[in-house]
Amino acid sequence: MIEVSDVRVTFNKGTPLESTALRQLGLVVPQGQFLTIIGSNGAGKSTSLNVIAGLVRPDCGKVVVDGQNVTDWPIHRRSRLISRVFQDPKMGTCEDLTILENFALAHGRTQPRGFRFAIDKAIREQAAERLELLKLGLENRLNDKVGLLSGGQRQAVSLLMATTGETQVLLLDEHTAALDPKTAEFVMELTRDIVTQLKLTSVMVTHSMAQALHYGDRTVMFHRGRIIFDAQGEERSAMQVSDLLQLFKRDQGEELSDDALLLG
Amino acid sequence: MSLYELLGTVEVGLTFGLVALGAFITFRILDFPDLTVEGSFPLGAAVAAILIVNFGWNPWPATFAAAVAGFGAGFVTAFLNVRFNILHILSGILVSISLYSVNLRIMSGPNKPLLGAHTIFSAAQGWGIPAYILSPLLLVVIILAIKLLLDLFLHTGLGMNMRAAGANPAMAAANGVNVGRMKLLGLGMANALTALAGAMFAQSFGAADAYMGIGVVIIGLASVIVGMSILPVRTIAQATLACLFGAMLYRFAVAFSLNADFLGLKASDVQLVTAVLVVVTLVGQSSRSSMGKLLKRRSS
Repeated sequence: MIEVSDVRVTFNKGTPLESTALRQLGLVVPQGQFLTIIGSNGAGKSTSLNVIAGLVRPDCGKVVVDGQNVTDWPIHRRSRLISRVFQDPKMGTCEDLTILENFALAHGRTQPRGFRFAIDKAIREQAAERLELLKLGLENRLNDKVGLLSGGQRQAVSLLMATTGETQVLLLDEHTAALDPKTAEFVMELTRDIVTQLKLTSVMVTHSMAQALHYGDRTVMFHRGRIIFDAQGEERSAMQVSDLLQLFKRDQGEELSDDALLLG
Repeated sequence: MSLYELLGTVEVGLTFGLVALGAFITFRILDFPDLTVEGSFPLGAAVAAILIVNFGWNPWPATFAAAVAGFGAGFVTAFLNVRFNILHILSGILVSISLYSVNLRIMSGPNKPLLGAHTIFSAAQGWGIPAYILSPLLLVVIILAIKLLLDLFLHTGLGMNMRAAGANPAMAAANGVNVGRMKLLGLGMANALTALAGAMFAQSFGAADAYMGIGVVIIGLASVIVGMSILPVRTIAQATLACLFGAMLYRFAVAFSLNADFLGLKASDVQLVTAVLVVVTLVGQSSRSSMGKLLKRRSS
């Protein structure tokens, strides 16, 4: 469960570059819902994700995750409730550490190990077991440095790491944007399977309208720091990418200038 | 080089192995170029010397107290960086120059002789082994024990968090690691090791001196770079061993270049020799094919 209420974010406050990224944003994602967020560049979709994760502190407003007011919590503290997968495959994993060590790190998010050894038999077995799901043979490469893996493999590992432990909220920040179409689809299918299986409350930011409509239970569209469109259920399942585009035109009286959105 | 000189070089090389381990933690693990060591090395020497000579402490707890003081110095540097967002290099410079004054205060003067005082080396005497062999032997045991402890620490949950915090801070934070706290702990540890080296150096050298910290940061860094570019470093244990090896190799390189009459170098040229050595290694690392070969030919 995520509740964002009356959140306002201003970048470069008090300078000539001042810009408002989010205006009085209110968004409630119920337990177990898979929300997809779409919008053009600068619409505020990534900023809203960063507000939830704690990378951006709002000027005003409140963020509540799983019943806890996390508005003033630093990132590392929120990580006990929230896990993330980044857009850049290099960001989600630590390339100087081995696959197993990365896993142990993610494991420590909800169960810190302090002065005990980071890796024990249980963690090794758990990592191997989960990596087998990928069918990439990574369970036999536990002691390889993550830096040796391809972008797609790293992103798949990030996803497994993010869904290790007891967190109920998963944030996905265009996590397939840097991958080739085939790998992107593989990672997306994997995402859907895991989210469904673990009943996670998920928020996925994407540039692709098709992806936004195809995956998840609900879609919202951001424009200039506001939610201009919110669809779920039957209304959403009947929707096509062309409908979304028309809706956007009608509401805003302007053409979408972002090629990436159209191509999706 | 006589046997006596050789063992002396080994002794200094071992002592500076601790400085190298400290530099490994800051430069390699935390990616935090720490200049505090210029002040924490003489701080360790000063604290140990004053406690032994003026307060009559047993040399072992005095040496331990020096390490604690070093931890404090590193902690302050990290605190300036983490809490007040002061640039890491500047934080280190600020702390190391203030430590210069602090050290003068501690010793009530620019130096403190330890000649004839009870040291960790004299404490171990009387086992029938001559001092010039006993000192390096004692150091080997101490340094290897510390290396093993560091290896073990870096494999604990906390140690792995520290490695992640340095390698990928954003990812570490997203995985629940308090990156700021890891810097505080890591810099504290690194400077504790450096101060410990200072305390032991003062006891084997026979005096603590306010100026003995000059160039320590580059010696530590040189040891790490030289060691890690020569030995394989696939695991943590190999990496820390490479640092110790690098410190030893560095000492021998300096001793040889100062001893070689045809080069015409004097003891006062040591800082210049260090800088040149670091540059040659760095250039050799970046282009292994050309300069790397040159470096190997030179050192053989």
